[in-house]
Amino acid sequence: MTNVTFYERVEDALNNEQLHVALNRTTARLGGLRTTAFASLPEAEAVRDRARMIRAHTISKLADYLEQFAANLEQCGGYVHFAADAAEANQIVLALAKQYQVKTVVKGKSMVSEEMHLNHEFEHLGITVWESDLGERIVQEAGEMPSHIIAPAIHYTREQVGDLLHKKLNIPLSHDPAVIVGHVREKLRQEFLVADMGITGVNFAVAETGTIALVENEGNGRLTSTAPRVHVALMGIERIVPTLDDLSVVLQVLARSATGQKLSVYTNLLTGPRRSPEADGPEALHVVIVDNGRSKVLGTELAEILYCIRCGACLNACPVYQQIGGHAYGSVYPGPVGAVLTPGLKGIEPWADLPHASSLCGACKEVCPVRIDIPRMLLKLREEGHEKGLAPAWVKMGLPVYRFVATKPALFKWAIKLSGMGARLLASAQGKGGWLTKLPPPLSGWTQHRDFPPFAAKSFSQQFKEMSE
Amino acid sequence: MRDSRKIVLDQIRNSLKSGVLPTARASVPPREVAVNTDYAAMSQTFQRDMEAVGAKIHRPVNSFAAVDLVVDLIQELGGNEILAWDDAELPLTGLPYALHKAGIRRVDQHVPADDAGRKQKLAALGEVRVGLTGASAGLADTGSLAMISSAARPRLASLLPLTHIALLPINRLYPTMASFFAAHPVLTQDASNLVFISGPSRTADIEMTLTVGVHGPKYIHVVLCP
Repeated sequence: MTNVTFYERVEDALNNEQLHVALNRTTARLGGLRTTAFASLPEAEAVRDRARMIRAHTISKLADYLEQFAANLEQCGGYVHFAADAAEANQIVLALAKQYQVKTVVKGKSMVSEEMHLNHEFEHLGITVWESDLGERIVQEAGEMPSHIIAPAIHYTREQVGDLLHKKLNIPLSHDPAVIVGHVREKLRQEFLVADMGITGVNFAVAETGTIALVENEGNGRLTSTAPRVHVALMGIERIVPTLDDLSVVLQVLARSATGQKLSVYTNLLTGPRRSPEADGPEALHVVIVDNGRSKVLGTELAEILYCIRCGACLNACPVYQQIGGHAYGSVYPGPVGAVLTPGLKGIEPWADLPHASSLCGACKEVCPVRIDIPRMLLKLREEGHEKGLAPAWVKMGLPVYRFVATKPALFKWAIKLSGMGARLLASAQGKGGWLTKLPPPLSGWTQHRDFPPFAAKSFSQQFKEMSE
Repeated sequence: MRDSRKIVLDQIRNSLKSGVLPTARASVPPREVAVNTDYAAMSQTFQRDMEAVGAKIHRPVNSFAAVDLVVDLIQELGGNEILAWDDAELPLTGLPYALHKAGIRRVDQHVPADDAGRKQKLAALGEVRVGLTGASAGLADTGSLAMISSAARPRLASLLPLTHIALLPINRLYPTMASFFAAHPVLTQDASNLVFISGPSRTADIEMTLTVGVHGPKYIHVVLCP
């Protein structure tokens, strides 16, 4: 993490006009596509219930299913490695690169590799890494981190993408997505066909068969896992389902939630490396199962976050994410899921502000295909932060003041009256139809990037009293 | 050497003693998987979903018409070389002979195991513009083709070329992915690769603008064989 605080990153994001254009164009569209896609699924609510049941059950027997998966994959000629943390995962992958005399690597999308800062490690060894997912490639060429787990370059406009790729990939300049994509196809095709090693993530591993499932739309995941002679797949310990039938259930909700598709264009099911008579495919398959803090989360009240199937729907639905985008969260996993997962994986200490980046409106829980109760866990983390003295100053100072006032009815009534009068006075001075455009400190933060709604003429308790009379 | 597998699994088992896992049950109850043999109806759904994602569906009246259609398609695309599944895997008798007569040649697709041979072969295969395959199955509810790899069914034929022509016998349609799995219990034990293809390769990574033909085929023709 950088030394910049969460609030400074939020400030930057809110002042970034281009970011707002990009976020407005994309989050609303993704949300709408999701709604339409679920309308086409018969008994959608029952499918979501079953998907949740599968995820909850799997996590409750996680060690058993991982053992079963590893045994079955090994039987099919694949290799399975376990890594306790990111450093060990990097060691494993770099040792494989050495063992297979790898000079170039082509990579599909993998959030675990972001946790590991794997590209950085390869660069140290002088090994070239090519990101092949278009969004990932855009952020790689820009020297940035993904800002959305499904659409990594969601914060970029088409003009920015065209200019960047023209400069970095040396392709003809265009601002038309179709033209840009045509040039990228030509350019990256060469990389796929010469790379020595392909690295991908894993959407789900199937315990009963030793299969890994990889879903994607571009064909880059398929090429990455087919063309190079070695395929390395990185997965978090929780990315598992018991059976192929269970896989078919979670796949029914994954693409619908993520991109509004019934199924992604390519659902790759890989069971070991190329079998000897087969015409093509990698000569070796290594699956690296990475813990990196997850088993610690499993032992806490945040364990439910491990049910997550990484669809990204909670990001698009979140009113905070819609305003600040992914980078402001400062970690690999942004949005509501990240606000729980990041402090869970890495400890609350530097991340205590993230659980406060929510209005607790519950939109994330509502769209979650496996109904994860994110608001419950955000509150849990706020509590933990408060106990450790890490709560933001306005909570630390504000709550005792509020408690003092709110527990004394007469004082409370008086305070409400006073603030109502004050607000109306300020509003009339600012002259914007009763809306407050500027509040005095310590409330000035509220009006920095938005207006405060006008107070009602009569308070609730006043109206209630009049009604009961 | 440090046994990371044991360390990680022990840590998981230990955490499971204290973790809060809402609604977790001891087992997931089995369910009924829908069976459907109304191929005419399923082919309608399949066609609607495939066309919705930009694939072209052809319904030739008989196998003679189907053979002519495939040969015409390939010639229109200007290919006299194709990547293709083996003759026995193309569910249209008469097609291999018709291709031969039309001067359309199948490129040898076996990728050598050694590094240099592998790269040389991949570079050559990457030049071919048309891929011709059968299909192991079709899924009606999502509009997807299933491809199972083997010596006679190379993966790259449906991946490298800009155009992919797939021949799908109508009686290989299944209502859902679950029903396909249920009908083929040892599927993943027989082959290293099974892929479901739902339309042309695409991206929406630039401002959610749908763009087709990224790294896989840009054009997909599905010939529903009677």
